[in-house]
Amino acid sequence: MPQVRMLAEQVRLVSEQTDRFKTGRISVSMALPMDERMAANSLLIYLLKRSCKKYPDFSLLNGKLDELYGAALSAGVTKIGESQVLSLSLTCLDDRFALTDESIVEQCAELLANMIFKPNCKSGSFGAENLAAEKRLLIQRIEEELNDKRTYAFNKCIEYMCANEAYGKDKYGTIEEIQSVKMADVYSAWKNLLSTAVFQITVVGGSGMDKIADVFAKHFAKIERNPVKPETVFIQRGRHFNRYEETYPVNQGKLVIGFRAGMQSSRDNIHAITVMNDIFGMGTYSKLFMNVREKLSLAYYCWSRLIASKGLVLVEGGIDTDKEKKVSAEILAQLSDLRNGKTDPEVLDSSKRSLKERYTFTTPEGICSWYAAQVLEDEIATPESMVEGIETVTMEQVCAAAKKLSIDSIFMLMAKTEEAAEDEN
Amino acid sequence: MKIKQITNEKLGETVFCAKHPSGLEIRVLPKEGYTSAYAVFGVKYGSIDTAVQNDNGEFETIPEGTAHFLEHKLFESEDLNAFERFAKTGASANAYTSFEKTAYLFKGSENIGESLEILLDFVQNPYFTQQTVEKEQGIIGQEIRMYQDLPDWQVMFNLLKALYSSHPVRIDIAGTQESIAKIDADLLYRLYKNFYNPANMVLSVVGEIEPDEVFAIVDRCIKKDAESKIVERKFEKESAKPVREYIEEKLSVAQKQFLLGFKEDISEPLFSLEDEIASQVMLEAIMGKSSPLFKKLLDEELIDMGFGSELFNGFGFSCVMMGGTSSDPQKTAQILHSEIKRIQQEGVDPAAFERAKRKYYGRYVMSYNDIDDTANLMMNLHFNGYEPFAELEACKKLTIEKVNSRLSALRDDACALSVICPIS
Repeated sequence: MPQVRMLAEQVRLVSEQTDRFKTGRISVSMALPMDERMAANSLLIYLLKRSCKKYPDFSLLNGKLDELYGAALSAGVTKIGESQVLSLSLTCLDDRFALTDESIVEQCAELLANMIFKPNCKSGSFGAENLAAEKRLLIQRIEEELNDKRTYAFNKCIEYMCANEAYGKDKYGTIEEIQSVKMADVYSAWKNLLSTAVFQITVVGGSGMDKIADVFAKHFAKIERNPVKPETVFIQRGRHFNRYEETYPVNQGKLVIGFRAGMQSSRDNIHAITVMNDIFGMGTYSKLFMNVREKLSLAYYCWSRLIASKGLVLVEGGIDTDKEKKVSAEILAQLSDLRNGKTDPEVLDSSKRSLKERYTFTTPEGICSWYAAQVLEDEIATPESMVEGIETVTMEQVCAAAKKLSIDSIFMLMAKTEEAAEDEN
Repeated sequence: MKIKQITNEKLGETVFCAKHPSGLEIRVLPKEGYTSAYAVFGVKYGSIDTAVQNDNGEFETIPEGTAHFLEHKLFESEDLNAFERFAKTGASANAYTSFEKTAYLFKGSENIGESLEILLDFVQNPYFTQQTVEKEQGIIGQEIRMYQDLPDWQVMFNLLKALYSSHPVRIDIAGTQESIAKIDADLLYRLYKNFYNPANMVLSVVGEIEPDEVFAIVDRCIKKDAESKIVERKFEKESAKPVREYIEEKLSVAQKQFLLGFKEDISEPLFSLEDEIASQVMLEAIMGKSSPLFKKLLDEELIDMGFGSELFNGFGFSCVMMGGTSSDPQKTAQILHSEIKRIQQEGVDPAAFERAKRKYYGRYVMSYNDIDDTANLMMNLHFNGYEPFAELEACKKLTIEKVNSRLSALRDDACALSVICPIS
């Protein structure tokens, strides 16, 4: 069981002490509403990662990380429900392995806190060159989403599906919004972050939990907090079935079918839906793997993913473009079997065993991200409690959960090889 | 079986090593406090194995992509396939093929002994029919198409094609649509028999398990009649020069991507772990994130945070690769060349060397965190002829002189630039 304590209003520290690992991990998650500040927030997190007051240059900060035995620093922007969650995380060597007498973990906690609370910022400016550089890198990052067609198609399906919801927006904000961000916007985004974001500091490691708590508590004591908790709208049924397509000069097409899972909140019927999604298209015993791949050889991958924080299930597959109808029909036929109880009872047991394994985390990163993903939940759930819930799920509940799936949108990335395009010209 | 224990005091880890009479090498690293175990059963047979020795000792060419094809096919059997069997223990099973090996693995927290038996059993019992081979051609065909669309993958294989004229490292791990079409059930059985014999394999298990239990299971499950033959690879010295200096492909991407590669002139098929680690530390010191070179390229808007470099080596090949996304690959390559030339004259900055060494030491220790990483590391060390923890000790002993001696691997006249351009 992790220890949970509040360091300030809506600032939660979740720590799991274990000396199993050779590393410690500290992750700070900061949840904000998906509003007009999104682009500035995204730039802010990368500026915070670039340098801080104590190490006011990119090379100096990275040199410090090398000295801390290659501590790995990462920054990220994700969507959890309709919230933009910024994060800064560090993985570092446990103090036991230091070659000299020093506390690596404490230094890392101090460094992370410094990056958030004492950034490289003078009279409201993070440095014009720094901002310009991060704008370039962020815009490039967004443009490069096109390079990986699987992820691109996945995101595109969500964008169409949730076009009238906040969730349909890109997690970073749009390129136009990023271009128009001014220094004052970033500064106000930083002030707003410290005052209003919902914070969770998640720590997994062998020692120094109290010290880490003190480091962050000390900084928060100087901040006037007015937290705003982002809310997510759950749409239970698909309203406007539509198919969208785009064509690219690639070898393989990507099909994505978006469903609404019928959930009213991120934990609504979560155990049955998790098992249903697993049997539908996650495990090697799943209907999609066994049929679309193994039986019909239509795809190398065809699987389903549950996004509980927004109540969505997405099925995706890499296929030949001219087989789209055949693949879609097979996916829906498999769903129909699932709904009608045409599932071998052994598969339910397999799924429960396999899910239990998936919730048995073997790395600090695994444990840390399980808890960090709960930044917006009122109660912290352990992996064990998830497994207990899953074990009680019956086949009837699986069928009922499958019946609640309603198709919303399809996105098809059509493949057209360059030669074929030239032939037409 | 004679069991040897190797302990690393600083890490607090002990590996139990044994060689089974069949020739199979076994490594077990029990981990206290872990609830799971990870086992990997590897065979020294990868995509670079495009020739087999026949009974007369002559090398005979085989189609590209057979190791990977076999990896897919071994999961099948006459009755329950391996996935169905693992579903009963709850373990998650998988496999992968690389340039030099094929590995079958599982991870589980319950019934670990039972899962280990399934692993040893399915890898030792091939079952193919013409029908199942044809089915797999469809699935692997999709896999190949998927990789052809991945720019990171293409930029690397294009570079390897530019650097190597005959070494099979230049071909895709899965082969090509044409080469896999030549594979049939008979060929798979023949190749299976050649490569999959215990003397050519290693079993590495890490996590919540007793070494004695592993040894007992191996004793029970390894076939007694298996042929015990070490498979030799043929070393053909590659030309010191690359095939071409520049290679370009247009793909559906947003920005240009590049990899600059330096081919090393090697006269022995493999080189030492010390050299390998010295090369990595050298690259980190010259162009890691804390280096002036990284900062310069970033400030000139030529790279992004994804820029990186690595030593890429194996049986009969060794090169250094560096690259990422760039608005101007040629200009970036020029700056890299001139900075490398300067450092070749002046030597690596001692402070940068210390930082890089410390980083690598930390990262090596970190790799003993994860049961997956540790088990794979044990397997790789064995395949390359090293004892457990050799990399950690080599890193601790590394000197700046050794690192500077590796600067000669970056030969100005033996490099190639691979670029992926957006389709306009």
